[in-house]
Amino acid sequence: MDKLSENQAAYYPGCALLTIDRAYNNSSKLVSKKMGIELVEIPDYNCCGIGEMKSKGAASMYMPLRNMMLAKSRLGSKNLVMACSVCYHEFKRSIARVRENKNELEAVNSIFKEAGEFGEEYAPDGDARHILEFLYNEKGVDEVKRNTVNPLKGLKVAPYYGCLYSRPSMYTFTDKKPQMDNSERPRFMHDFLKAVGAETVFYGNEVQCCGGRNLIQDEETSFTLCSQTISKAKKAGADVIALICPKCAGALDVNQPKIVEKFGKDSELPVVYLTQLMALAFGFSKKEAEFGDMISNPLKVINEKGF
Amino acid sequence: MALEKQENRPVAEKGEHIIARHLIEDDNIKEEKNLVIDGVDVSGRWNTFILSRVDSEFDRSFFKEVKETVVGSRINRCWQCGMCTASCTVTPLYRRFNPRAFIYMMQLGNLKEIKKYIDVAWRCVGCYKCSQRCPKQVNPAEMMEALGLLIKKYFPEEVKSKLKVDEDVKKIYDDMIVGHGRLDLAKLHTSAMQKTGRTKELIGKIERDAIFKMAKDGRAFSILRLGKPHNWSSSKEAITGYLKNINTIENGESGV
Repeated sequence: MDKLSENQAAYYPGCALLTIDRAYNNSSKLVSKKMGIELVEIPDYNCCGIGEMKSKGAASMYMPLRNMMLAKSRLGSKNLVMACSVCYHEFKRSIARVRENKNELEAVNSIFKEAGEFGEEYAPDGDARHILEFLYNEKGVDEVKRNTVNPLKGLKVAPYYGCLYSRPSMYTFTDKKPQMDNSERPRFMHDFLKAVGAETVFYGNEVQCCGGRNLIQDEETSFTLCSQTISKAKKAGADVIALICPKCAGALDVNQPKIVEKFGKDSELPVVYLTQLMALAFGFSKKEAEFGDMISNPLKVINEKGF
Repeated sequence: MALEKQENRPVAEKGEHIIARHLIEDDNIKEEKNLVIDGVDVSGRWNTFILSRVDSEFDRSFFKEVKETVVGSRINRCWQCGMCTASCTVTPLYRRFNPRAFIYMMQLGNLKEIKKYIDVAWRCVGCYKCSQRCPKQVNPAEMMEALGLLIKKYFPEEVKSKLKVDEDVKKIYDDMIVGHGRLDLAKLHTSAMQKTGRTKELIGKIERDAIFKMAKDGRAFSILRLGKPHNWSSSKEAITGYLKNINTIENGESGV
């Protein structure tokens, strides 16, 4: 495969984005392209481990780092962009750990050697980038403002960052540059939403957890946490909640009918991805941004507001 | 809003206002109806006393076992400030889930205490608030994984009976992640539902609507096309070989 040019970036889709969360995948690609960066999927990617491998020592670090090796060997890119916060966390965790810890790097490299897929050893130089942080640092808010043709005037958005995009700083702040979001009070999504003309509301649960990790084993916890988040956002006057993680979508969007059944109408609010709203503001159609994919029916609000 | 059912270890009226009451045995709380000390009447709230407890017979090799793992490598740094419990997402919902206490038990090697918390120990949602705020960078979020490993090694029977659901779901994840290299979310959902005996819900209205929606807009078929990474078998063998050969408790063979 050809190496990447300057306006391209290696992109790790992850398992959710290629299947049920295609709305996030497609809109991320549209938005990035409009802003001047084409996202090129790495071939043969594998699952990042989604946190279920953590107790398996170096094997948990092999999973993400194999993708870093793929990006380097197939596309010639040291860095890898991804949209899923869980993947991002797994990548960041692995990179931070092998940089700090020689033993763990050796253990990972022993697995690489055993698998024999790549001729070289893993050298901890590249970095993982979350799409939000990537666009913010590489293109900036001005680029978003410049591309906005259909400002989302009057739409009140509750930005929901979730856990793993900004936390923990011991993993996310591996380098001085690029500039990372604040761990306790992130603001990149706020800046982007304001740039596309939407209003942001403060509701206090921006970095709260959705309980997505134990979604299968422990629905009750997840439902309680999600209903708190949704009802707080609703109380603050939000029209929609904006997300940057497919796991949060699994908890807040896909499960919303069940949450409403349990906690009542207070917990009913349309949920969209940040990139969907940006795509809409950049002049793409609602069909292209795949608003119809969301179970919580954001189309109703979007149509009401006349975008 | 506490979700926890109090049946397992009832919080008696005795000493009800003590924070982290669950850590104290009932017999160790002394409450007098009317108590006068040095001529001062201290009846009411001030008449609760906790008898000091002596724990002995610790297994210090236990500490070493945790320290050797990737997730528990910073256990020696913890100085028990309790910031992890204070910032925990799960603690308000399940009072007995107390990361600080769990780390303390692991430091001491107090298996007897750990055994009491097998049913809540797995409830960590991995939100990393504790690791973010920990002043010593102990990384309590990952320490909970180490606790899981210990429980798996020393209490296989309890894991089989009390944590069956959790273990079954972990097994499904493992089979998919290591076995196939990619995660099939539809299969994950359905097989987890089957294992937990909730097949009925799958044909309920909410689930049916979601499945119908995905079939209609074509997402259901993209799941079928997800496939497997090329050459994954070599990686799979390397990973399983690694897991067999490590000599820490992360070893896949130990415990269950």
